[in-house]
Amino acid sequence: MRWINPKIIGILLLLIGLWVFLAIAVPETFLKGGNLENLMRRTALYGILGIGVAFVIITAGIDLSIGSIVCLSASILALLLQVRYEPFDMQPVLAVQASQQTIVLPGHVETFAAGQKIRYQGGRRARNAMLIVTHVAPVTFTTHQNDQVAATALKVDKPLSRDDNTGFIAKLSTLTALDRGDPAAGIAPTLTLAAAHPNLAARDKLVLLDPAAGRQDLVIDAAEVRDAQTVVRLRDELGSNVSQQWLAIPVERRQRMSVLMAIAAVLLIGLILGLVHGLLITKVELQPFVVTLCGLLVYRGVARWLTNDQVQGFKTEYADSIQRLAVGKLSLGFTSHGEVIGIPYPFFILIITGVLASIFLNKTIWGRYMQAVGHNEAAARYSGIHTHWVKIVAYVICAVLACVGGMLFALSNNSVSPSAFGNFFELYAIAAAVLGGCSLRGGEGGILGVIIGTAVMQTLKNSILLLGISDTLEFVIVGLVLLGGVIADQYIKRAIDRRRLATRRVHPPA
Amino acid sequence: MSDQSIAPVLEVRHICKRFPGVRALHDVGLTLARGEVLALIGENGAGKSTLMKILAGVQSADSGQILIDGRPVVIDSVHKALRQGVALIHQELNLAGNLDVAANIFLGREPLLRLGLIDTATIHCQASGFLDKIGLDVAPTTLVGDLPIGQQQMVEIAKALSVNARVLIMDEPTSSLSAKETDALFRVVRELRSSGVSVIYISHRLGEVKELADRVSVLRDGENAGDLSRDQIDHDAMVRLMVGREISQFYARRPHKIGDIVLEVDRLVTPAWPQHPLSFGVRAGQIVGVAGLVGAGRTEMVRTLFGIDQPLAGTVRVKGQTVDMKNSLATIRSGLALVPEDRKQHGLVLEMSVRENTSLAGLRQNALLGGFLNRAEETRLTQSMVQRLSTKTPSLDQVAHCLSGGNQQKVVLGKWLSLAPQVLLLDEPTRGIDVGAKEEIYRLMEELAEQGVAILFVSSEMEEILGMSDRVLVMHEGRISGELDRDELSEEGIMQLATGRPQAA
Repeated sequence: MRWINPKIIGILLLLIGLWVFLAIAVPETFLKGGNLENLMRRTALYGILGIGVAFVIITAGIDLSIGSIVCLSASILALLLQVRYEPFDMQPVLAVQASQQTIVLPGHVETFAAGQKIRYQGGRRARNAMLIVTHVAPVTFTTHQNDQVAATALKVDKPLSRDDNTGFIAKLSTLTALDRGDPAAGIAPTLTLAAAHPNLAARDKLVLLDPAAGRQDLVIDAAEVRDAQTVVRLRDELGSNVSQQWLAIPVERRQRMSVLMAIAAVLLIGLILGLVHGLLITKVELQPFVVTLCGLLVYRGVARWLTNDQVQGFKTEYADSIQRLAVGKLSLGFTSHGEVIGIPYPFFILIITGVLASIFLNKTIWGRYMQAVGHNEAAARYSGIHTHWVKIVAYVICAVLACVGGMLFALSNNSVSPSAFGNFFELYAIAAAVLGGCSLRGGEGGILGVIIGTAVMQTLKNSILLLGISDTLEFVIVGLVLLGGVIADQYIKRAIDRRRLATRRVHPPA
Repeated sequence: MSDQSIAPVLEVRHICKRFPGVRALHDVGLTLARGEVLALIGENGAGKSTLMKILAGVQSADSGQILIDGRPVVIDSVHKALRQGVALIHQELNLAGNLDVAANIFLGREPLLRLGLIDTATIHCQASGFLDKIGLDVAPTTLVGDLPIGQQQMVEIAKALSVNARVLIMDEPTSSLSAKETDALFRVVRELRSSGVSVIYISHRLGEVKELADRVSVLRDGENAGDLSRDQIDHDAMVRLMVGREISQFYARRPHKIGDIVLEVDRLVTPAWPQHPLSFGVRAGQIVGVAGLVGAGRTEMVRTLFGIDQPLAGTVRVKGQTVDMKNSLATIRSGLALVPEDRKQHGLVLEMSVRENTSLAGLRQNALLGGFLNRAEETRLTQSMVQRLSTKTPSLDQVAHCLSGGNQQKVVLGKWLSLAPQVLLLDEPTRGIDVGAKEEIYRLMEELAEQGVAILFVSSEMEEILGMSDRVLVMHEGRISGELDRDELSEEGIMQLATGRPQAA
């Protein structure tokens, strides 16, 4: 197979034509760094999906579940990387005996002592109260079910209400020292807590509370236990109203899974989904259209169920780590407006994926097998090729790349609403692949074409925006360009066939 | 033959047709009398198909004249050709298997009732008439897909008659028919002839031509090579005109050494014929022919041997080693190779190049570390196969689709020879390929046998079976009804076994 299919030339000319047109028609908006960057980023994200589906199309299959896999992988990544903040030493409340000013904790808890300051949070009114423990005693508590359980009773200094029946209490630390640092000189503020908190570490938080009113949540940069006290260096600036009279609650950052584990888990899910598609299509001999149509329905449903149909996101937790992969860019310098321009990182991911996919398709026996299976599965089988596994691998590649794309989309948007995220993405991917020279009859197609096809689709979307065309016409334009593309392709194919016929006659058979 | 005084029903004068850069037909003429069977022969690529397509309105000529009943006519569409009474029956039948016989005959010309509903009663009634006319004894309500291929062909003929075709063009009509079906077809053609229909009959099977044709017209390289009248038709004369040279010894069997047993088949049970276990052996350097009627289970047997179909029971050994029959990859590893019956569906990936097709079966074993293609080895191997088989291709990157049948078959053979198989299974290896390429394939079989390859070849061409085989297995309805050694071979003996009659003593 040739590296550059002659069919690509047409679509490449279309792309360049579009760019030249836009550069002349709306130079001030099209050529703006931000716009070009955005175009590249979107091309990269959709292109990864297109490369995946190209493999399936080359083996004469189809995958309609890509959009739903994007949604599912995005939702799962968000769920797996969800971050919760919970105070260290937080205790659930078993019961509150308002008349006795007593809070009952389950089990014999020994971390509280008389004189200790605590924070109560909860109850029917969702109250926050700062209390001082006056007396601690182990008791036996009788529950509503008349079970006798071991418990600890904390008597406190202030009266409690009948509404304060459940909730949590957390220990408060007093501050023994406070240093605002010098933000201008880059010296971070430090606080010293009265007690030893050996588990406190970077990215945990301190909640600072004013005994009267006021609260600040600050991210920790480093913490160190010194002489039964804890010295904490903060990442955030200290508010000017904070004084040494404030109290601190050390809060632990809990991430469900490490980033690498989460990514691996999502990719594994993609692999399993692809495997299931492939096995159903080859071993159970179901039609790819039907199998992946069911996938389209099921995966979106699962994503909505897993997330309770709630919007998922990463807040700013990963802004400095993996989110940079999706939203970051390699800076190329400043424009005259002082705007930083650069190449978005996803574009590099696309290039790497594209090169690997191209090598796989054109330089390995598996790629060759895929082309053979796509053109003529029977002949491939008669040549000793495991046609089933060839197809299964194509579906696995497609699902895994859909997961890669899904994760990048999620990180880039930072907001995944499971009912709509990734809708129609499978159609964009298939359209880009077809525009880029893949034939749904199988066998035909290359990776470069798919990437160019994706760029054309994204440029079209961009031009609709820039030219001020009503976005209700978006699908009309994309649909017509696709139709025009395949019609042109058909005519080119006929011309090539005529030439072939001619060469056949030039070399008469034996 | 019919009245000679009136003008021929069809006359073609000075037809020229060029495709970009090539001359397909040059100054070709043809006459066809009423009620005449004209055989049109020539090697593949000689221009037969192009000429017939022009007559049937599929393509148009660049220059020249077509006369029907002495009047010049313009035929520029299939529709116009049919109106002039010219119907083409393609080699691949154009029938809808999911419709019944009557519906196929009237497809596109259904008589309608009010409200646009199809008048089923009328078409069934009229269809019966056409079926009677050609002596096809099936109900008009039978689904075409349920008919054997021979009867489907008859349905095509009935369809042609239903449009009052006076000139029937048949392109290789017997290529997938059994001997019995061929006989039935010939009977119909003769009846058509006596009722005044003229037939142009294209075939590679010279025996049939000899039997059926009133006259033979030969094309070579897009030009008229000569005509033979009824009394001039003989095998050598036809071959001479087709190839422009003498073929002295067609089946060049030289005496050669037959070695140890290579392929042992022990009670192999195919899924197609589960009641008949098959047992036989093939020795090194031996060519074993498998004869039988179409549908006797020969293709099913080689498919099962090659692991395409899963055997229900039995063992196969190659040089004493039991072959894992789970798929074709396993049988290939054991040294088997199969040149399948259907070259275009099973033998080749038509859209891929000569190089890619030749290397396809050996890619895995020639791959570099990590599964990378070994381009250099691929090219070297293809080059050597193209040379060894003298495949005519402009380059190794030529798409297989563009090669002639004979050269396509050589690409299939090259794919397997590159793996140096110990057992070569050939299923109808010379079907639909021209005389020159046939001869080369016979020579190759001979050469491989001399190198000690065990060859099992299925063929429906009696001459081939008689000429090439050291031994013949004859199959009938899924079982091996007899085995004949070379000195016992006779056409009658094989036919007796193939039709299931007990072997003559």
